Amino acid sequence: MVMRGWSMPHKLSQIISWPEQQAKAKDFLDQKGWPDNRQEAWKYTSLAHLREQQFLPANGFEKLASSASVEGLEGLMIEISGGIARLHDGQSLPEGISICDISTDDSARAAIFTRLADDHLLPALSALHQTSAIAIDIEKPALSASIPPIILNITGGDKDTACYPLVMVRVHKGTTARIAEIHSSQAGLACPLMVYDVADEAALHHIRLQAEADHTTHLGLNQMQMGKNSQINSFAISMGGALSRLETHSLFLGTDSALAQSAIYLGRDRQHHDITSFVAHELRDCHSRQLIRGVLDDKARGVFQGKVRVAPDAQKTDGQQMSRALLLSRDAEADAKPELEIFADDVVCSHGATVGELDENLMFYLKSRGIAEAEARNMLIDAFLIDTLEEIEDAGFAAFMAAQIAKWSAANR
Amino acid sequence: MNLLEIKNLHVSIGDTKILHGINLTINRGEVHAIMGPNGSGKSTLSYVLSGRDGYEVTEGEILLDGQSVLEMEADERARAGMFLAFQYPVELPGVSGMSFLRAAVNARRREAGEDEVDQLEFVKLVRAAAADLGVDNDMLKRAVNVGFSGGEKKRYEILQMALLQPSLAVLDETDSGLDVDALKIVSHGVNAQRGASCGMLVITHYQRLLSHIVPDYVHILAGGRIIKSGDKSLALEVEENGYAGLVDAA
Ligand SMILES: Nc1ncnc2c1ncn2[C@@H]1O[C@H](COP(=O)(O)OP(=O)(O)OP(=O)(O)O)[C@@H](O)[C@H]1O
Ligand SMILES: [Mg+2]
Repeated sequence: MVMRGWSMPHKLSQIISWPEQQAKAKDFLDQKGWPDNRQEAWKYTSLAHLREQQFLPANGFEKLASSASVEGLEGLMIEISGGIARLHDGQSLPEGISICDISTDDSARAAIFTRLADDHLLPALSALHQTSAIAIDIEKPALSASIPPIILNITGGDKDTACYPLVMVRVHKGTTARIAEIHSSQAGLACPLMVYDVADEAALHHIRLQAEADHTTHLGLNQMQMGKNSQINSFAISMGGALSRLETHSLFLGTDSALAQSAIYLGRDRQHHDITSFVAHELRDCHSRQLIRGVLDDKARGVFQGKVRVAPDAQKTDGQQMSRALLLSRDAEADAKPELEIFADDVVCSHGATVGELDENLMFYLKSRGIAEAEARNMLIDAFLIDTLEEIEDAGFAAFMAAQIAKWSAANR
Repeated sequence: MNLLEIKNLHVSIGDTKILHGINLTINRGEVHAIMGPNGSGKSTLSYVLSGRDGYEVTEGEILLDGQSVLEMEADERARAGMFLAFQYPVELPGVSGMSFLRAAVNARRREAGEDEVDQLEFVKLVRAAAADLGVDNDMLKRAVNVGFSGGEKKRYEILQMALLQPSLAVLDETDSGLDVDALKIVSHGVNAQRGASCGMLVITHYQRLLSHIVPDYVHILAGGRIIKSGDKSLALEVEENGYAGLVDAA
């Protein structure tokens, strides 16, 4: 069964061929161009600044993949830089993991893109400009202990180049996989497309760190689809780049599955962070839980758009979504657009969004104990984020993500 | 040198004048009590001493150890030795009690040019101080003040005072909300801090507290002015007759 579509997923019997996909993508981009605030989906995030820019496709392994941003993570490291995706020097594939270059495999790419949202900017960009493409299969070996985490270390490029890496991950039936996506490129435009297929009874622990260069425009899409009785525990931090949008499209295609998908964005200077999420409950007895937290300083801007759709067949759905933004400066701004589209009657869904400032009473209490302004602020920021960080189940991933927040806060002093 | 000297202090919040020329001098080793009707400006005085934003000093001076504190931020004043036990301590969800206490103690120590406190030693120090004040281990593990009862919050304030060893402690109605036994425990904690190096300003409505923490001076604050000062017998007089007579006489 294959599902597609952003607003109205429907069943498709046929895979659309790769040349046809590319032609459609070209048509879409030619007609629509870079969207601005006049388009509903881009109401808070305009890409008009890209209209004047030309990027060269990133190819080759221009810069040695830096390992600074993956410090603290252990596992099988795959380096994706410019047009190259390869295993880190000296590492070999453990049992249970296979990696395949699909950058010239039309049928593989056709199958992947058929399941993505139609008439949508991010898949279209990727279909047309793809710079690298790999597929990773993770399947629990019959007699083996656990499979090591996979680290996708996505780097390289420079401000005149654009990179469009594609990674397809299949977590096979009954397998538990751990994947960290670390985005720290120097590209002018980074458009990573990550597709996760979590099969029946499979589980995925996933973290995603966006720590791109100050000049980068980051347009990422994470598409996740879940089989029956599957689990995803996913957590994203967006803290880099000049303008960043992360779209997550999550589809429940089996019953009795659970998605915990939380995110934090941290903005300062004139950064713009957008997290746009779409969760589609297609079948019954599935749970989704999303906590979004944003911290914005200076003139930074934060956006959260969250849509939860519950199809008529998705009875007993439990869908929770809560977004909160904390503004540290008068000039910072946060927008939230939560949306529920419910077509089933026996469901529990809730959503909410708040925007607040640091509580002066709490600041005074800390300062009255001799704690300096910056340290007091950081204590309250940490307190604001702590329950969200506790959503991360994998201890190694949790420690890594907490360290990223500490790095960000340290620059506040 | 006087520990604290408040000279002709006028304070406004926005356009509202709250304090109208307070004069008060506290020396090391002295305990001063302030009593006064609701809304007379007692908490305002405590906040303006500790440097809370929004309280404008329109006239007058506050000197700590001879130095003006008016240009100092709240955290600087605290590191210079001031401490305020809040009338209404705030809850800090997500801020762990131990790391809060350690941050406060380390801020003081850094200011004094001392090394930061050793983590294990600090836990021992806090446990010992907490035991003296009837603050149990469970409270220490929770987020600051979160889920504490009114009386527990007050004890936690005094625990902080015991750890920070201030030179000037302002206690704003630390007795309200305390049961009889807690009042004794807290008073004992305050008396332990009392000594040659520390001055105290104790704000209260009740003579009862002053039978445990015996003041050297009692001042009556009404309508933003100190209308009468005396010794501990003044507190008894207030307890007997209320404020009406005093206010009329002033
Ligand atoms: N933020 C504020 N804005 C305006 N007026 C205020 C503010 N805070 C306090 N006041 C006013 O200042 C006056 C003094 O208040 P304060 O809290 O200092 O009184 P208090 O003596 O501590 O009273 P209580 O015994 O009830 O604690 C009151 O009239 C109060 O309404
Ligand atoms: Mg008061």
